[in-house]
Amino acid sequence: MLDVQHLEVWYGPTEVLRDVSFTVPANAIIALLGGNGSGKTTVLNAVSGLVAPRAGTVRVAGEDATGAAPHSMVMRGVVQIPQGREVFADMTVQDNLEVGAAVQQNKRAIRQDIAEIYELFPALRARRSARAGVLSGGEQTQLAMARALMARPRLLLMDEPSVGLAPLVVETIIQTVRDLRARGLTILLVEQNVGVAAAVADHAHVLRDGVIAYSGPACDLIDNRDVLASYLGR
Amino acid sequence: MLVLSYLLVTGITTGALYALVALGIVVVYKATEVVNLAHGELFMMGGFLAYTLHVMVKLPYVPSVLLAVAGSFAIGILTDRVAFRPLMKEGLVSVLLATIGISFILKGVARVLWGGKGDYLAFPPLVSPEPMRIGNVMIMSQQLVVLLAALAVMLVFAAFFKTTRAGKFMQATASNPKAAALVGIHVSRVYMYTFGVGAAVAGASAVLMAPLTLLYPDIGFPLFIKGFAAAVLGGLTSVPGAIIGGLLVGILEQLAAGFIGTAIQDVSAFIVIMFALIFLPTGILGMRGTRKI
Repeated sequence: MLDVQHLEVWYGPTEVLRDVSFTVPANAIIALLGGNGSGKTTVLNAVSGLVAPRAGTVRVAGEDATGAAPHSMVMRGVVQIPQGREVFADMTVQDNLEVGAAVQQNKRAIRQDIAEIYELFPALRARRSARAGVLSGGEQTQLAMARALMARPRLLLMDEPSVGLAPLVVETIIQTVRDLRARGLTILLVEQNVGVAAAVADHAHVLRDGVIAYSGPACDLIDNRDVLASYLGR
Repeated sequence: MLVLSYLLVTGITTGALYALVALGIVVVYKATEVVNLAHGELFMMGGFLAYTLHVMVKLPYVPSVLLAVAGSFAIGILTDRVAFRPLMKEGLVSVLLATIGISFILKGVARVLWGGKGDYLAFPPLVSPEPMRIGNVMIMSQQLVVLLAALAVMLVFAAFFKTTRAGKFMQATASNPKAAALVGIHVSRVYMYTFGVGAAVAGASAVLMAPLTLLYPDIGFPLFIKGFAAAVLGGLTSVPGAIIGGLLVGILEQLAAGFIGTAIQDVSAFIVIMFALIFLPTGILGMRGTRKI
């Protein structure tokens, strides 16, 4: 589904990603781990088109999409759920979902999708007329996911969905990620929380200093003291 | 009492027009974080477009108005495509400076087309200039028409933002441009339409004001200052704030002229800006937040 090869990204004079290559097979959940400043978010932003890579290629479903603009990535079915939710705080829950369907044209299909989303996230239906900014952290995370689903993605890029949430809420997020895969989605999950990654992902890559330093089955991570200590700093 | 009611009616009417000018400034600022310093000149262009269509080409008033608003929208889009969009990447200060450049260009164009030697063009009145009496208040029927039209423009504007897809995209982009890009909104295109909508509102306020005043190429700047004072008073990011701010500036200006002296009328907007910045730095309805420039 996603094929990233030799990705190189600079912010001004600073090299953030040196040579990052990995693939995300269709219907897989792949985790991208790493400490602060390791470049995880930059990988997602380069795939989403928010930052332009200096070198390397990004292919989506076999087609070259390197350097495509964010809206064109969404049209290709690649949708990022940014870190910190970033919901449209002044707008209602319902309007957030409608705007989430920015690349959809068919009004009836959009209405049906919203109805379906409310089935999936009943908590959001109850708060459909509330301003998104007043929702709890867990509800905002659900809204950010729901809004991304409105674009009918094939590949979801999730940036630290567990950050700042209570353990019980994290459990429901994990369950949602599993459900989404069961519905046919492919997921690239960026995490600092190894527990979350090990719980849902098939395979994990660990980023350090702008390169992928370790790759392996996600369930092995939790036992792999070397990786945890040397790459994630615990 | 009669003087006071006359001043209030005049203040509310001009205030409603200032509110429209402020509305255009606020819409553009909210979405792009740029104060469009060419906003007054967009207003002026809208007025001259209406003059050309109505007085020179002799079209009826309503089609002239609609075409002038559409023309202003097109000029707004053009300014974005030619000047603002290519500079967005260079930072807000570059765009801000570009808006000054655009204001001079538009003024130059207006001087060439509509007279550069201090010509003041008169726009014919819309309705008979007979005053009307509502209760104890005398009101020019002209003012009443303008006031109602200004309210109609505000309602259309609010409905556009609350109910249409394009309006919601603009709201989303203003609220969080990064998240807007990530849901698939073409952000630079939204900015373009935002500059267009801002200019269209400026054009609408110009065609409403034209019959009450005279048109000349330099009319833009004083109008911009009044509108900007209103916008700052309202908090610069709030649409209801801009409307309240506009009405307040209009009323204060008339009261100052009536009770202190006409010399103070045009300075009163500056005084409002000054006091607003000192005592209400976030405006009446503005948001408390960090400032980016």
